[in-house]
Amino acid sequence: MSALFRLVGVGGVIAYRALFNWTTPSIFVGTLLVGPLFQLFFFAYLGREFGVADDRFYIVGNAVLTAALACVYGGTMAVANERRFGTLGHVLLSPRSRTAIFLGRVLPYAGNGLLIAASTLTVAALLLGLRIPATALPGLLLALAAASLTCGFFGLTLGALGLRFRDVFLISNVAVALLLLFTGVNVPADSLPAGIRAVGAVLPITHAADAARRLAGGATLGDALPAIGVELAVGVGYAVLAAGLLTVFEAESRRRASLDTL
Amino acid sequence: MGEHAIEAVGLHRSYRSRTGWLRPQRREVHAVAGVDLAVRHGELFGLLGPNGAGKTTTIKLLNTLLIPTGGEARICGFDVVRQTREVRRRIGYVFGGDRGLYDRLSARDNLRYFAELYGVPGREQKRRIAELFALVRLTGREDDRVESYSRGMRQRLHIARGLLHRPRVLFLDEPSIGVDPVAARELRQTVAELAATGTTVLLTTHYMAEADELCGRIAVIAGGRLQALGTPAELRHHADGRRVLEVQAYGVTDGQLAAIRARPGVREVSLAVHGAAQLLGVQSDAGVDVQADVLRELSGVRLGRVTARQPTLEDAYVAIVNRAAEPTPLVGGVPA
Repeated sequence: MSALFRLVGVGGVIAYRALFNWTTPSIFVGTLLVGPLFQLFFFAYLGREFGVADDRFYIVGNAVLTAALACVYGGTMAVANERRFGTLGHVLLSPRSRTAIFLGRVLPYAGNGLLIAASTLTVAALLLGLRIPATALPGLLLALAAASLTCGFFGLTLGALGLRFRDVFLISNVAVALLLLFTGVNVPADSLPAGIRAVGAVLPITHAADAARRLAGGATLGDALPAIGVELAVGVGYAVLAAGLLTVFEAESRRRASLDTL
Repeated sequence: MGEHAIEAVGLHRSYRSRTGWLRPQRREVHAVAGVDLAVRHGELFGLLGPNGAGKTTTIKLLNTLLIPTGGEARICGFDVVRQTREVRRRIGYVFGGDRGLYDRLSARDNLRYFAELYGVPGREQKRRIAELFALVRLTGREDDRVESYSRGMRQRLHIARGLLHRPRVLFLDEPSIGVDPVAARELRQTVAELAATGTTVLLTTHYMAEADELCGRIAVIAGGRLQALGTPAELRHHADGRRVLEVQAYGVTDGQLAAIRARPGVREVSLAVHGAAQLLGVQSDAGVDVQADVLRELSGVRLGRVTARQPTLEDAYVAIVNRAAEPTPLVGGVPA
Protein backbone atom coordinates (compact mmCIF):
# COMPACT_ATOMS: atom_id res chain seq x y z
CA MET A 1 0.00 0.00 0.00
CA SER A 2 2.82 2.42 0.84
CA ALA A 3 4.31 1.70 -2.60
CA LEU A 4 1.00 2.78 -4.13
CA PHE A 5 0.98 5.98 -2.08
CA ARG A 6 4.56 6.66 -3.16
CA LEU A 7 3.63 6.19 -6.79
CA VAL A 8 0.64 8.52 -6.46
CA GLY A 9 2.28 11.07 -4.15
CA VAL A 10 6.01 11.19 -4.92
CA GLY A 11 5.51 10.10 -8.52
CA GLY A 12 2.76 12.67 -9.06
CA VAL A 13 4.87 15.55 -7.77
CA ILE A 14 7.95 14.59 -9.81
CA ALA A 15 5.78 14.18 -12.91
CA TYR A 16 4.30 17.64 -12.26
CA ARG A 17 7.79 19.17 -12.21
CA ALA A 18 8.76 17.21 -15.31
CA LEU A 19 5.73 17.85 -17.46
CA PHE A 20 4.04 21.12 -16.45
CA ASN A 21 5.18 23.89 -18.77
CA TRP A 22 4.37 26.82 -16.49
CA THR A 23 6.45 26.13 -13.41
CA THR A 24 8.93 28.98 -13.75
CA PRO A 25 7.91 31.88 -11.43
CA SER A 26 7.48 34.49 -14.16
CA ILE A 27 5.29 32.26 -16.34
CA PHE A 28 3.38 30.95 -13.34
CA VAL A 29 2.57 34.44 -12.05
CA GLY A 30 1.88 35.95 -15.48
CA THR A 31 -0.15 33.13 -16.98
CA LEU A 32 -1.93 31.68 -13.99
CA LEU A 33 -2.33 34.57 -11.55
CA VAL A 34 -2.24 37.96 -13.27
CA GLY A 35 -3.93 37.05 -16.58
CA PRO A 36 -7.00 35.40 -15.03
CA LEU A 37 -7.31 38.26 -12.52
CA PHE A 38 -7.67 40.78 -15.34
CA GLN A 39 -10.18 38.50 -17.03
CA LEU A 40 -12.17 38.58 -13.78
CA PHE A 41 -11.97 42.40 -13.66
CA PHE A 42 -13.14 42.60 -17.27
CA PHE A 43 -16.28 40.57 -16.63
CA ALA A 44 -16.96 42.30 -13.27
CA TYR A 45 -16.87 45.76 -14.88
CA LEU A 46 -18.89 44.50 -17.84
CA GLY A 47 -21.47 43.19 -15.36
CA ARG A 48 -21.57 46.52 -13.56
CA GLU A 49 -22.03 48.33 -16.86
CA PHE A 50 -24.93 46.22 -18.09
CA GLY A 51 -26.40 45.34 -14.72
CA VAL A 52 -27.01 41.71 -15.60
CA ALA A 53 -25.82 40.48 -12.22
CA ASP A 54 -24.03 41.79 -9.13
CA ASP A 55 -20.32 41.76 -8.32
CA ARG A 56 -20.60 38.56 -6.28
CA PHE A 57 -21.86 36.67 -9.33
CA TYR A 58 -18.89 37.66 -11.48
CA ILE A 59 -16.13 37.70 -8.87
CA VAL A 60 -16.92 34.34 -7.31
CA GLY A 61 -17.81 32.66 -10.61
CA ASN A 62 -14.65 33.84 -12.36
CA ALA A 63 -12.48 33.03 -9.34
CA VAL A 64 -13.69 29.43 -9.48
CA LEU A 65 -13.05 29.42 -13.22
CA THR A 66 -9.39 30.42 -12.74
CA ALA A 67 -8.75 26.91 -11.42
CA ALA A 68 -9.60 25.59 -14.88
CA LEU A 69 -6.60 27.09 -16.66
CA ALA A 70 -3.96 25.34 -14.55
CA CYS A 71 -5.94 22.15 -14.08
CA VAL A 72 -7.27 21.56 -17.60
CA TYR A 73 -3.98 22.39 -19.32
CA GLY A 74 -2.02 20.66 -16.57
CA GLY A 75 -4.06 17.48 -16.87
CA THR A 76 -3.55 17.57 -20.62
CA MET A 77 0.20 18.15 -20.27
CA ALA A 78 0.38 15.24 -17.80
CA VAL A 79 -0.15 12.87 -20.71
CA ALA A 80 0.48 14.80 -23.90
CA ASN A 81 3.91 16.13 -22.90
CA GLU A 82 5.20 12.57 -22.61
CA ARG A 83 5.18 12.58 -26.40
CA ARG A 84 7.16 15.81 -26.46
CA PHE A 85 9.94 14.32 -24.32
CA GLY A 86 9.78 10.89 -25.98
CA THR A 87 9.17 9.28 -22.59
CA LEU A 88 5.76 7.77 -23.26
CA GLY A 89 7.17 4.37 -24.21
CA HIS A 90 9.10 4.15 -20.96
CA VAL A 91 6.00 5.05 -18.97
CA LEU A 92 3.96 2.46 -20.84
CA LEU A 93 6.62 -0.15 -20.11
CA SER A 94 6.00 0.29 -16.39
CA PRO A 95 4.47 -2.78 -14.74
CA ARG A 96 2.59 -0.50 -12.29
CA SER A 97 -1.09 0.43 -12.44
CA ARG A 98 -1.83 2.98 -15.14
CA THR A 99 -4.72 4.34 -13.06
CA ALA A 100 -2.37 5.07 -10.13
CA ILE A 101 0.30 6.59 -12.37
CA PHE A 102 -1.98 8.95 -14.26
CA LEU A 103 -4.62 9.76 -11.66
CA GLY A 104 -1.80 10.52 -9.20
CA ARG A 105 -0.52 13.13 -11.63
CA VAL A 106 -3.75 15.11 -11.27
CA LEU A 107 -3.31 15.83 -7.56
CA PRO A 108 -0.51 18.45 -7.86
CA TYR A 109 -2.48 20.22 -10.59
CA ALA A 110 -5.58 20.24 -8.39
CA GLY A 111 -3.51 21.76 -5.56
CA ASN A 112 -2.22 24.31 -8.01
CA GLY A 113 -5.75 25.17 -9.14
CA LEU A 114 -6.92 25.56 -5.55
CA LEU A 115 -4.06 27.94 -4.77
CA ILE A 116 -4.76 30.03 -7.87
CA ALA A 117 -8.53 30.18 -7.37
CA ALA A 118 -8.20 31.04 -3.66
CA SER A 119 -5.65 33.79 -4.27
CA THR A 120 -7.65 35.22 -7.19
CA LEU A 121 -10.82 35.32 -5.08
CA THR A 122 -8.95 36.99 -2.20
CA VAL A 123 -7.30 39.67 -4.34
CA ALA A 124 -10.43 40.36 -6.39
CA ALA A 125 -12.65 40.59 -3.31
CA LEU A 126 -10.22 43.04 -1.66
CA LEU A 127 -9.82 45.22 -4.75
CA LEU A 128 -13.47 45.26 -5.80
CA GLY A 129 -14.87 45.50 -2.28
CA LEU A 130 -16.75 42.21 -2.08
CA ARG A 131 -17.49 41.17 1.51
CA ILE A 132 -17.46 37.46 2.17
CA PRO A 133 -18.57 36.19 5.60
CA ALA A 134 -15.76 34.46 7.49
CA THR A 135 -18.05 31.51 8.17
CA ALA A 136 -18.22 30.88 4.43
CA LEU A 137 -14.47 30.35 4.05
CA PRO A 138 -14.25 26.60 4.83
CA GLY A 139 -17.10 25.88 2.45
CA LEU A 140 -15.58 28.11 -0.22
CA LEU A 141 -12.28 26.25 0.08
CA LEU A 142 -14.14 22.97 -0.29
CA ALA A 143 -15.97 24.22 -3.39
CA LEU A 144 -12.72 25.48 -4.95
CA ALA A 145 -10.99 22.19 -4.15
CA ALA A 146 -13.83 20.23 -5.75
CA ALA A 147 -13.69 22.45 -8.85
CA SER A 148 -9.90 22.05 -9.10
CA LEU A 149 -10.01 18.28 -8.77
CA THR A 150 -12.80 17.97 -11.32
CA CYS A 151 -10.95 20.24 -13.74
CA GLY A 152 -7.82 18.13 -13.29
CA PHE A 153 -9.68 14.93 -14.18
CA PHE A 154 -11.34 16.74 -17.08
CA GLY A 155 -7.87 17.78 -18.30
CA LEU A 156 -6.60 14.23 -17.88
CA THR A 157 -9.47 13.03 -20.07
CA LEU A 158 -8.37 15.47 -22.75
CA GLY A 159 -4.76 14.36 -22.20
CA ALA A 160 -5.83 10.74 -22.72
CA LEU A 161 -7.08 11.80 -26.14
CA GLY A 162 -3.46 12.78 -26.74
CA LEU A 163 -2.64 9.08 -26.92
CA ARG A 164 -4.84 8.92 -30.00
CA PHE A 165 -4.68 12.42 -31.51
CA ARG A 166 -1.48 14.36 -31.90
CA ASP A 167 -2.76 17.95 -31.59
CA VAL A 168 -4.64 17.53 -28.33
CA PHE A 169 -3.85 21.05 -27.10
CA LEU A 170 -6.24 22.32 -29.78
CA ILE A 171 -8.98 20.46 -27.94
CA SER A 172 -7.83 21.92 -24.61
CA ASN A 173 -7.90 25.44 -26.04
CA VAL A 174 -11.47 24.98 -27.21
CA ALA A 175 -12.49 23.27 -23.95
CA VAL A 176 -11.19 26.13 -21.78
CA ALA A 177 -13.01 28.65 -23.97
CA LEU A 178 -16.22 26.63 -23.74
CA LEU A 179 -16.02 26.56 -19.95
CA LEU A 180 -16.25 30.35 -20.02
CA LEU A 181 -19.73 30.16 -21.54
CA PHE A 182 -21.17 26.73 -20.74
CA THR A 183 -20.55 26.76 -16.98
CA GLY A 184 -22.59 29.89 -16.42
CA VAL A 185 -19.83 31.81 -14.65
CA ASN A 186 -20.39 34.91 -16.80
CA VAL A 187 -23.93 34.42 -18.06
CA PRO A 188 -26.63 33.40 -15.60
CA ALA A 189 -27.58 29.80 -16.29
CA ASP A 190 -31.28 30.76 -16.57
CA SER A 191 -30.43 32.93 -19.58
CA LEU A 192 -28.62 30.14 -21.42
CA PRO A 193 -30.35 27.87 -23.97
CA ALA A 194 -31.42 24.50 -22.55
CA GLY A 195 -28.85 22.62 -24.65
CA ILE A 196 -25.95 24.66 -23.30
CA ARG A 197 -27.28 24.29 -19.75
CA ALA A 198 -27.45 20.51 -20.21
CA VAL A 199 -23.84 20.36 -21.41
CA GLY A 200 -22.77 22.73 -18.65
CA ALA A 201 -24.28 20.40 -16.05
CA VAL A 202 -21.68 17.73 -16.89
CA LEU A 203 -18.74 20.12 -17.16
CA PRO A 204 -16.40 21.03 -14.32
CA ILE A 205 -16.88 24.41 -12.56
CA THR A 206 -20.67 24.70 -13.08
CA HIS A 207 -21.79 23.22 -9.77
CA ALA A 208 -18.79 24.43 -7.76
CA ALA A 209 -19.41 28.01 -8.94
CA ASP A 210 -23.05 27.70 -7.93
CA ALA A 211 -22.06 26.42 -4.48
CA ALA A 212 -19.41 29.12 -4.04
CA ARG A 213 -21.84 31.90 -4.92
CA ARG A 214 -24.36 30.61 -2.42
CA LEU A 215 -21.72 30.40 0.30
CA ALA A 216 -20.44 33.91 -0.46
CA GLY A 217 -24.05 35.10 -0.24
CA GLY A 218 -24.42 33.79 3.29
CA ALA A 219 -25.77 30.26 2.73
CA THR A 220 -24.64 27.54 5.11
CA LEU A 221 -22.31 24.72 4.15
CA GLY A 222 -25.27 22.36 4.35
CA ASP A 223 -27.04 24.40 1.66
CA ALA A 224 -24.02 24.25 -0.62
CA LEU A 225 -23.00 20.64 -0.05
CA PRO A 226 -25.38 19.11 -2.63
CA ALA A 227 -23.87 21.26 -5.39
CA ILE A 228 -20.33 20.45 -4.20
CA GLY A 229 -21.28 16.76 -4.18
CA VAL A 230 -22.52 16.98 -7.77
CA GLU A 231 -19.29 18.73 -8.77
CA LEU A 232 -17.27 15.91 -7.22
CA ALA A 233 -19.50 13.33 -8.91
CA VAL A 234 -18.75 14.99 -12.25
CA GLY A 235 -15.04 14.78 -11.34
CA VAL A 236 -15.29 11.07 -10.53
CA GLY A 237 -17.05 10.59 -13.87
CA TYR A 238 -14.14 12.21 -15.71
CA ALA A 239 -11.61 10.19 -13.68
CA VAL A 240 -13.33 6.98 -14.73
CA LEU A 241 -13.57 8.18 -18.33
CA ALA A 242 -9.87 9.15 -18.35
CA ALA A 243 -8.83 5.77 -16.93
CA GLY A 244 -10.99 4.01 -19.52
CA LEU A 245 -9.62 6.05 -22.42
CA LEU A 246 -6.02 5.51 -21.28
CA THR A 247 -6.61 1.76 -21.11
CA VAL A 248 -8.34 1.62 -24.49
CA PHE A 249 -5.83 3.83 -26.30
CA GLU A 250 -2.85 1.99 -24.82
CA ALA A 251 -4.28 -1.34 -25.93
CA GLU A 252 -5.03 0.12 -29.34
CA SER A 253 -1.50 1.49 -29.66
CA ARG A 254 -0.08 -2.00 -29.09
CA ARG A 255 -2.48 -3.58 -31.54
CA ARG A 256 -2.44 -0.99 -34.33
CA ALA A 257 0.94 0.62 -33.70
CA SER A 258 -1.01 3.88 -33.65
CA LEU A 259 1.24 5.53 -31.10
CA ASP A 260 4.65 6.92 -31.88
CA THR A 261 5.84 5.89 -28.45
CA LEU A 262 9.55 6.42 -28.83
CA MET B 1 13.11 -21.11 -15.61
CA GLY B 2 13.62 -22.15 -19.22
CA GLU B 3 16.89 -22.34 -21.01
CA HIS B 4 16.26 -19.14 -22.94
CA ALA B 5 15.80 -15.59 -21.77
CA ILE B 6 14.31 -14.55 -25.12
CA GLU B 7 12.38 -16.88 -27.40
CA ALA B 8 10.50 -15.98 -30.56
CA VAL B 9 8.87 -18.34 -32.99
CA GLY B 10 7.51 -17.18 -36.34
CA LEU B 11 7.21 -13.61 -35.10
CA HIS B 12 5.23 -11.46 -37.52
CA ARG B 13 4.19 -7.84 -37.48
CA SER B 14 2.47 -6.13 -40.36
CA TYR B 15 1.14 -2.58 -40.61
CA ARG B 16 -1.74 -1.35 -42.68
CA SER B 17 -1.57 2.16 -43.98
CA ARG B 18 -3.99 4.23 -46.01
CA THR B 19 -3.22 7.20 -48.23
CA GLY B 20 -5.62 9.53 -50.04
CA TRP B 21 -9.24 10.39 -49.32
CA LEU B 22 -11.08 10.31 -52.62
CA ARG B 23 -9.37 7.17 -53.86
CA PRO B 24 -7.86 5.65 -50.76
CA GLN B 25 -5.03 3.24 -51.34
CA ARG B 26 -4.39 0.65 -48.68
CA ARG B 27 -1.02 -0.92 -48.24
CA GLU B 28 0.18 -3.65 -45.97
CA VAL B 29 3.82 -3.61 -44.89
CA HIS B 30 5.41 -6.65 -43.30
CA ALA B 31 7.92 -5.09 -40.92
CA VAL B 32 8.75 -8.42 -39.30
CA ALA B 33 8.00 -11.49 -41.35
CA GLY B 34 8.66 -14.66 -39.42
CA VAL B 35 11.55 -14.15 -37.03
CA ASP B 36 12.79 -17.07 -34.91
CA LEU B 37 15.12 -16.22 -32.04
CA ALA B 38 16.45 -18.05 -29.01
CA VAL B 39 18.76 -16.08 -26.73
CA ARG B 40 20.24 -17.85 -23.73
CA HIS B 41 20.33 -16.40 -20.22
CA GLY B 42 23.35 -14.15 -19.76
CA GLU B 43 24.07 -13.98 -23.49
CA LEU B 44 25.02 -10.75 -25.23
CA PHE B 45 23.22 -11.08 -28.53
CA GLY B 46 23.49 -8.68 -31.47
CA LEU B 47 20.74 -7.87 -33.94
CA LEU B 48 22.11 -6.13 -37.00
CA GLY B 49 20.39 -4.82 -40.06
CA PRO B 50 19.98 -1.81 -42.31
CA ASN B 51 17.47 0.96 -41.61
CA GLY B 52 13.92 -0.35 -41.90
CA ALA B 53 15.06 -3.97 -41.60
CA GLY B 54 12.75 -4.66 -38.65
CA LYS B 55 15.18 -4.42 -35.73
CA THR B 56 13.27 -1.88 -33.65
CA THR B 57 9.92 -3.49 -34.48
CA THR B 58 11.32 -6.83 -33.30
CA ILE B 59 12.43 -5.24 -30.03
CA LYS B 60 9.04 -3.55 -29.56
CA LEU B 61 7.34 -6.90 -30.08
CA LEU B 62 9.60 -8.50 -27.50
CA ASN B 63 9.25 -5.70 -24.93
CA THR B 64 5.41 -5.59 -25.14
CA LEU B 65 5.06 -2.19 -26.81
CA LEU B 66 3.58 -3.91 -29.87
CA ILE B 67 1.43 -7.00 -30.29
CA PRO B 68 2.58 -9.47 -32.95
CA THR B 69 0.21 -10.15 -35.84
CA GLY B 70 1.56 -13.69 -35.95
CA GLY B 71 3.81 -16.07 -34.06
CA GLU B 72 4.68 -15.82 -30.41
CA ALA B 73 7.43 -14.67 -28.10
CA ARG B 74 8.39 -15.26 -24.50
CA ILE B 75 10.70 -13.43 -22.14
CA CYS B 76 12.03 -15.58 -19.30
CA GLY B 77 9.17 -17.95 -20.08
CA PHE B 78 6.42 -15.28 -19.97
CA ASP B 79 4.28 -14.58 -23.01
CA VAL B 80 4.70 -11.03 -24.31
CA VAL B 81 1.02 -10.68 -25.20
CA ARG B 82 -0.78 -12.32 -22.30
CA GLN B 83 1.68 -11.81 -19.42
CA THR B 84 2.80 -8.26 -20.06
CA ARG B 85 3.17 -7.29 -16.40
CA GLU B 86 5.47 -10.26 -15.70
CA VAL B 87 7.49 -9.48 -18.82
CA ARG B 88 7.81 -5.79 -17.94
CA ARG B 89 9.11 -6.61 -14.49
CA ARG B 90 11.97 -8.49 -16.09
CA ILE B 91 13.03 -6.21 -18.92
CA GLY B 92 14.81 -2.93 -19.39
CA TYR B 93 14.73 -0.90 -22.58
CA VAL B 94 17.33 1.60 -23.73
CA PHE B 95 17.29 3.35 -27.05
CA GLY B 96 19.64 5.77 -28.74
CA GLY B 97 19.07 9.46 -29.31
CA ASP B 98 18.50 12.64 -27.36
CA ARG B 99 14.92 11.99 -26.30
CA GLY B 100 13.38 9.75 -23.68
CA LEU B 101 14.32 11.72 -20.56
CA TYR B 102 12.66 14.59 -18.71
CA ASP B 103 14.92 17.50 -19.65
CA ARG B 104 13.74 19.85 -16.90
CA LEU B 105 14.53 17.38 -14.15
CA SER B 106 17.91 16.47 -12.75
CA ALA B 107 19.36 13.08 -13.59
CA ARG B 108 18.64 11.96 -10.04
CA ASP B 109 14.97 12.98 -10.25
CA ASN B 110 14.66 11.21 -13.60
CA LEU B 111 15.88 8.02 -11.96
CA ARG B 112 13.72 8.58 -8.86
CA TYR B 113 10.63 8.87 -11.03
CA PHE B 114 11.38 5.80 -13.11
CA ALA B 115 12.25 3.91 -9.92
CA GLU B 116 8.67 4.56 -8.82
CA LEU B 117 7.30 3.54 -12.19
CA TYR B 118 9.32 0.34 -12.28
CA GLY B 119 8.49 -0.64 -8.72
CA VAL B 120 11.85 -0.22 -7.00
CA PRO B 121 11.03 -0.23 -3.25
CA GLY B 122 11.41 3.18 -1.61
CA ARG B 123 14.00 2.02 0.93
CA GLU B 124 16.26 0.68 -1.88
CA GLN B 125 15.99 3.59 -4.28
CA LYS B 126 18.71 5.81 -2.86
CA ARG B 127 21.32 3.05 -2.78
CA ARG B 128 20.35 1.66 -6.18
CA ILE B 129 20.45 5.07 -7.85
CA ALA B 130 23.89 5.79 -6.38
CA GLU B 131 25.15 2.41 -7.62
CA LEU B 132 23.89 3.13 -11.11
CA PHE B 133 25.42 6.60 -11.25
CA ALA B 134 28.73 4.94 -10.41
CA LEU B 135 28.20 2.21 -13.00
CA VAL B 136 27.52 4.65 -15.83
CA ARG B 137 30.18 7.09 -14.63
CA LEU B 138 27.87 10.01 -13.88
CA THR B 139 28.77 10.40 -10.22
CA GLY B 140 29.16 14.12 -9.48
CA ARG B 141 26.64 15.15 -12.14
CA GLU B 142 23.55 13.59 -10.53
CA ASP B 143 21.90 16.89 -9.65
CA ASP B 144 22.48 18.61 -12.98
CA ARG B 145 19.45 19.10 -15.17
CA VAL B 146 19.36 16.61 -18.02
CA GLU B 147 19.00 19.45 -20.54
CA SER B 148 22.64 20.31 -19.79
CA TYR B 149 23.85 16.77 -20.53
CA SER B 150 25.81 15.82 -23.64
CA ARG B 151 24.48 13.04 -25.83
CA GLY B 152 26.97 10.55 -24.40
CA MET B 153 25.88 11.40 -20.85
CA ARG B 154 22.25 11.04 -21.82
CA GLN B 155 22.98 7.64 -23.29
CA ARG B 156 24.61 6.53 -20.08
CA LEU B 157 21.66 7.87 -18.11
CA HIS B 158 19.34 5.89 -20.43
CA ILE B 159 21.27 2.76 -19.49
CA ALA B 160 21.04 3.59 -15.78
CA ARG B 161 17.29 4.05 -16.15
CA GLY B 162 17.00 0.73 -17.98
CA LEU B 163 18.78 -1.04 -15.12
CA LEU B 164 16.94 0.50 -12.16
CA HIS B 165 14.80 -2.55 -11.40
CA ARG B 166 17.62 -5.05 -12.07
CA PRO B 167 16.07 -6.45 -15.26
CA ARG B 168 17.03 -9.94 -16.33
CA VAL B 169 16.85 -8.92 -19.99
CA LEU B 170 18.06 -5.60 -21.34
CA PHE B 171 17.14 -4.37 -24.82
CA LEU B 172 19.66 -1.88 -26.17
CA ASP B 173 18.37 -0.31 -29.37
CA GLU B 174 21.25 1.48 -31.10
CA PRO B 175 22.59 2.92 -27.84
CA SER B 176 25.74 4.36 -29.41
CA ILE B 177 24.05 6.20 -32.26
CA GLY B 178 25.40 9.73 -32.62
CA VAL B 179 27.84 9.60 -29.71
CA ASP B 180 31.50 10.46 -30.10
CA PRO B 181 34.14 7.69 -30.21
CA VAL B 182 35.24 8.18 -26.60
CA ALA B 183 31.68 8.09 -25.30
CA ALA B 184 30.95 5.08 -27.53
CA ARG B 185 33.92 3.24 -26.06
CA GLU B 186 32.69 3.99 -22.53
CA LEU B 187 29.26 2.73 -23.49
CA ARG B 188 30.72 -0.51 -24.83
CA GLN B 189 32.63 -0.92 -21.60
CA THR B 190 29.43 -0.44 -19.60
CA VAL B 191 27.55 -2.96 -21.76
CA ALA B 192 30.36 -5.50 -21.43
CA GLU B 193 30.30 -5.08 -17.64
CA LEU B 194 26.56 -5.66 -17.63
CA ALA B 195 26.84 -8.87 -19.58
CA ALA B 196 29.54 -10.00 -17.16
CA THR B 197 27.02 -9.70 -14.32
CA GLY B 198 24.68 -12.17 -16.02
CA THR B 199 22.20 -9.75 -17.57
CA THR B 200 20.94 -10.95 -20.93
CA VAL B 201 21.48 -8.19 -23.48
CA LEU B 202 19.91 -7.87 -26.91
CA LEU B 203 21.83 -5.16 -28.73
CA THR B 204 20.96 -3.58 -32.05
CA THR B 205 23.60 -1.47 -33.72
CA HIS B 206 24.85 -0.26 -37.07
CA TYR B 207 28.46 -0.45 -35.96
CA MET B 208 30.09 -3.74 -36.90
CA ALA B 209 33.09 -3.17 -34.67
CA GLU B 210 30.78 -2.73 -31.71
CA ALA B 211 28.90 -5.94 -32.48
CA ASP B 212 32.15 -7.80 -33.15
CA GLU B 213 33.67 -6.67 -29.86
CA LEU B 214 30.65 -7.25 -27.65
CA CYS B 215 28.37 -9.93 -29.01
CA GLY B 216 28.70 -13.67 -28.56
CA ARG B 217 26.25 -14.26 -31.39
CA ILE B 218 24.81 -12.00 -34.03
CA ALA B 219 21.68 -12.23 -36.13
CA VAL B 220 21.41 -10.21 -39.33
CA ILE B 221 17.90 -9.08 -40.18
CA ALA B 222 16.80 -7.59 -43.48
CA GLY B 223 13.38 -7.31 -45.05
CA GLY B 224 11.83 -8.39 -41.76
CA ARG B 225 13.53 -11.81 -41.85
CA LEU B 226 16.63 -13.23 -40.24
CA GLN B 227 19.18 -13.66 -43.00
CA ALA B 228 22.04 -15.09 -40.98
CA LEU B 229 22.81 -16.11 -37.44
CA GLY B 230 26.06 -17.09 -35.78
CA THR B 231 29.15 -15.98 -33.94
CA PRO B 232 31.07 -13.07 -35.49
CA ALA B 233 33.65 -15.59 -36.78
CA GLU B 234 30.94 -17.70 -38.37
CA LEU B 235 29.34 -14.70 -40.03
CA ARG B 236 32.66 -13.72 -41.58
CA HIS B 237 32.43 -16.91 -43.66
CA HIS B 238 29.75 -15.18 -45.72
CA ALA B 239 32.60 -13.22 -47.27
CA ASP B 240 34.94 -16.20 -47.68
CA GLY B 241 36.68 -16.45 -51.01
CA ARG B 242 36.47 -12.72 -51.59
CA ARG B 243 38.71 -9.72 -51.57
CA VAL B 244 37.77 -6.11 -51.06
CA LEU B 245 38.84 -3.05 -53.00
CA GLU B 246 38.20 0.32 -51.39
CA VAL B 247 38.35 3.52 -53.39
CA GLN B 248 37.99 7.01 -51.98
CA ALA B 249 36.25 9.07 -54.64
CA TYR B 250 34.43 12.35 -55.24
CA GLY B 251 31.39 12.22 -57.54
CA VAL B 252 30.70 8.58 -58.42
CA THR B 253 27.40 8.34 -60.35
CA ASP B 254 24.71 5.67 -60.22
CA GLY B 255 25.57 4.71 -63.80
CA GLN B 256 29.19 4.08 -62.86
CA LEU B 257 28.09 1.97 -59.90
CA ALA B 258 25.89 -0.13 -62.16
CA ALA B 259 28.75 -0.59 -64.62
CA ILE B 260 31.13 -1.71 -61.84
CA ARG B 261 28.49 -4.06 -60.50
CA ALA B 262 28.24 -5.66 -63.94
CA ARG B 263 31.97 -6.39 -64.25
CA PRO B 264 32.95 -10.08 -64.21
CA GLY B 265 33.98 -11.28 -60.73
CA VAL B 266 32.33 -8.41 -58.85
CA ARG B 267 30.06 -9.73 -56.08
CA GLU B 268 29.02 -6.68 -54.03
CA VAL B 269 29.31 -2.94 -54.45
CA SER B 270 28.63 -0.42 -51.71
CA LEU B 271 28.98 3.34 -51.53
CA ALA B 272 29.24 5.25 -48.25
CA VAL B 273 29.47 9.02 -47.92
CA HIS B 274 31.92 10.55 -45.47
CA GLY B 275 31.67 14.34 -45.61
CA ALA B 276 32.55 15.42 -49.14
CA ALA B 277 34.15 12.08 -49.99
CA GLN B 278 32.60 8.80 -51.06
CA LEU B 279 33.99 5.44 -50.08
CA LEU B 280 33.37 2.86 -52.77
CA GLY B 281 33.66 -0.75 -51.61
CA VAL B 282 33.90 -3.50 -54.21
CA GLN B 283 33.85 -7.13 -53.13
CA SER B 284 35.06 -9.54 -55.75
CA ASP B 285 36.02 -13.18 -56.06
CA ALA B 286 39.43 -13.70 -54.51
CA GLY B 287 40.90 -15.03 -57.76
CA VAL B 288 39.83 -12.04 -59.85
CA ASP B 289 41.65 -8.73 -59.79
CA VAL B 290 39.01 -6.11 -60.55
CA GLN B 291 41.08 -3.05 -59.65
CA ALA B 292 41.95 -2.10 -63.22
CA ASP B 293 38.34 -2.52 -64.38
CA VAL B 294 37.00 -0.45 -61.49
CA LEU B 295 39.46 2.39 -62.03
CA ARG B 296 38.62 2.36 -65.74
CA GLU B 297 34.91 2.75 -64.97
CA LEU B 298 35.78 5.65 -62.67
CA SER B 299 37.70 7.56 -65.28
CA GLY B 300 36.95 11.27 -64.97
CA VAL B 301 36.13 10.96 -61.26
CA ARG B 302 38.55 12.52 -58.79
CA LEU B 303 40.02 9.70 -56.75
CA GLY B 304 41.83 9.49 -53.42
CA ARG B 305 43.24 6.47 -51.62
CA VAL B 306 42.86 3.03 -53.25
CA THR B 307 43.40 -0.05 -51.07
CA ALA B 308 42.87 -3.79 -51.30
CA ARG B 309 42.29 -5.86 -48.16
CA GLN B 310 40.82 -9.05 -46.70
CA PRO B 311 37.08 -9.06 -45.90
CA THR B 312 35.88 -8.04 -42.42
CA LEU B 313 32.67 -8.68 -40.53
CA GLU B 314 31.29 -5.54 -42.13
CA ASP B 315 31.95 -6.95 -45.59
CA ALA B 316 30.19 -10.15 -44.60
CA TYR B 317 27.28 -8.06 -43.34
CA VAL B 318 27.12 -6.13 -46.63
CA ALA B 319 27.16 -9.41 -48.54
CA ILE B 320 24.33 -10.83 -46.42
CA VAL B 321 22.20 -7.70 -46.65
CA ASN B 322 22.73 -7.27 -50.41
CA ARG B 323 21.83 -10.90 -51.02
CA ALA B 324 18.65 -10.36 -49.01
CA ALA B 325 17.76 -7.44 -51.25
CA GLU B 326 17.99 -9.59 -54.38
CA PRO B 327 14.72 -10.85 -55.89
CA THR B 328 15.15 -14.34 -54.40
CA PRO B 329 16.04 -13.79 -50.76
CA LEU B 330 18.61 -15.88 -49.02
CA VAL B 331 17.06 -18.31 -46.57
CA GLY B 332 18.90 -19.70 -43.58
CA GLY B 333 22.54 -18.75 -43.34
CA VAL B 334 25.35 -20.00 -41.23
CA PRO B 335 23.85 -22.13 -38.46
CA ALA B 336 24.40 -21.17 -34.83
